[in-house]
Amino acid sequence: MTEPAATARESAEAPAVTPQAVRRIRRRDPVPVATAAGVAIVGSLVLAAMNGSYLGLTITTGVGYAVVTVGMVLQLGYSRQLAFSQSVFMGVGAYGTGVLETKYNFNSAESLLAVIAIAALAAFLVGVVVTRAPGLALALATLLLPLFIYQLATFSSWLGSFSGIDGVLPFWNGPTYESALVRSGIVSVVLLGLATGVVLRVMRSGVGFQLMAMAEDERLGESIGVSLRQRRLEVFVFGSVLAAVGGAVLASAQGLVTPTVLGESAEITLLIMVFVSGRKSVIATILGAIVIEYLTTSTAFISTNLGIIEGIVLLLVLLVEPDGVAGAVDRVLGRRTDRWAGNLRSWGAARLRAGADTGGETGGGAA
Amino acid sequence: MSEFLNLLAAGLTSGAIYGIFGACLAVWFRVCNILNLAVGDFAMLGAIGTAELVQSDHVPFPAAVAADLAAVGLVAWLFDRGVLHFAFDRRPGGHGIVGVFFYTFGLSLVIEGVAQTVFGTDVHGAPAIWPGPAIAIADFHVQRAGILVIALAVASGLVLWAYLRFTVSGRAASACGESVLGSRIVGIDSALFRRRIFVATAVLAALFGVVESPLTGFTYLSGPTISLIGVVAAGFAAFRKPGRAVVAGLAIGVAEAMLGGYVSTSYNDVLLYAILFGIIILRPEVLGLSATAA
Repeated sequence: MTEPAATARESAEAPAVTPQAVRRIRRRDPVPVATAAGVAIVGSLVLAAMNGSYLGLTITTGVGYAVVTVGMVLQLGYSRQLAFSQSVFMGVGAYGTGVLETKYNFNSAESLLAVIAIAALAAFLVGVVVTRAPGLALALATLLLPLFIYQLATFSSWLGSFSGIDGVLPFWNGPTYESALVRSGIVSVVLLGLATGVVLRVMRSGVGFQLMAMAEDERLGESIGVSLRQRRLEVFVFGSVLAAVGGAVLASAQGLVTPTVLGESAEITLLIMVFVSGRKSVIATILGAIVIEYLTTSTAFISTNLGIIEGIVLLLVLLVEPDGVAGAVDRVLGRRTDRWAGNLRSWGAARLRAGADTGGETGGGAA
Repeated sequence: MSEFLNLLAAGLTSGAIYGIFGACLAVWFRVCNILNLAVGDFAMLGAIGTAELVQSDHVPFPAAVAADLAAVGLVAWLFDRGVLHFAFDRRPGGHGIVGVFFYTFGLSLVIEGVAQTVFGTDVHGAPAIWPGPAIAIADFHVQRAGILVIALAVASGLVLWAYLRFTVSGRAASACGESVLGSRIVGIDSALFRRRIFVATAVLAALFGVVESPLTGFTYLSGPTISLIGVVAAGFAAFRKPGRAVVAGLAIGVAEAMLGGYVSTSYNDVLLYAILFGIIILRPEVLGLSATAA
């Protein structure tokens, strides 16, 4: 029998791989759903344990920042898109929620959905033009955005000028302030869980590989058929929508919106959260956002010397481990698990040798 | 006409400020492909440090300027030896956006924090180098410090342009930015050029802070805004052409003054940033950046 004939028979015998089957296989990745559920459940339990205390408010605020930083992992860390407009879209979410609830009597769910739609549309319109700009030009354009949007917000009496907008509703009201804080916090961590799941799903899909190829080398991406402009736009819009959702969470947790949410300092805070914790790790940035928010608001020494501490920590992280605390932990755990695996292998080999020796002796004796 | 000339003088003065910081950023980026986001903080250290030495410690003005510039140069040298050397010389290649932005961003945060602790939150201004009332020619008035600022900006832009274009050392410095490996193969010490130009631009920025501070005053938070406008001016010079950065800075300053004078005094900055944003996103080719610049 000739080789081609054999190949033809093998392929005829092999089960047909239909597109539906491929899709079924791809859907089996349990990590995004499990992580999303884990974030939502653990977060809800922690907030319920806090019982509406000040620490609970701090954690809920940190959750708001975490929603934004999860989007930044995809945008800055994974796709290496040099966009610094997250604070602006965080402002869109926060101010959008404030305006819709206080001036147009929307409830929390309606305002959240409306804010997502507004942010998606705004990000699409801005992104269509902004993502045309190459590399550093995109960074430059998005660096300018917070400057004039912040000034516009402070000049606008409709947006409450420097004092902002007061009276933003919690996501889920309750009979007391504490219960409302716990319930809103739970809604916030559910939103964070959803964001985490979607980002992980994208990162672990074919689109994620395309983004990774683009990040490494845009020509490589183009050569494998990736539409660079389309992917850049999708990442920009997605990151911006998550930033707006984060802004809505912040507004709902704090009950007010001020122009600081739009400014350079907010963008700096977000960058520190992402780069110090690990710009490529979703879970690390969630923990980083919450821990940094806690440290900056609850510790007098850190809040007084915030600039020095942020700067030194950032420099140390960049020098020692550019992938942040997550990279360092990965490295340490990787070494430890490598050592454990080495010990296990040598233990197994020793057992096998001992077994073989015993077997050999017995066999020899019998012979 | 006199209103136009006065606005032009004010615009050229603020534009010279933007331009010189753009030039400092551009010349260093050309050498090592890093944006110096701490350039405004060096200017702040120059201005506030000199003001403190003169007003609080009663040090003579020339000695205070010299001591302050030496201190700023030392800070820059230490940062290069302590951070950039380990980041770029010991671990070359593959830094991406981290290398471009975040090392000097970290330095900027540290300088601001230290300045807040040491100098407080008050506005400081160094004594004027050329004291006296504004110079008036008919209805046209210009501050003496403004003349110094414009002159220093133009002179610095010309010197940096000539250095890069006409000297062997300048061409060697440019080669480092094109390819670190290639420049090392032909015997150019890229780390030395990076260090020298970083220290030189830090001292220049500090000197500019001293000259400028009688006009605007400085707080510990003045640095980032200056750096950001410098980045924009440098961006319009492809981040690599210091002479063009000075021209871009002057144009931005004049546009800002004209918008303030003829359109709206409140919204002039908003309009200016919006116009710059529009130019960058609609005509990114004017920046002269390639797609792989980052």
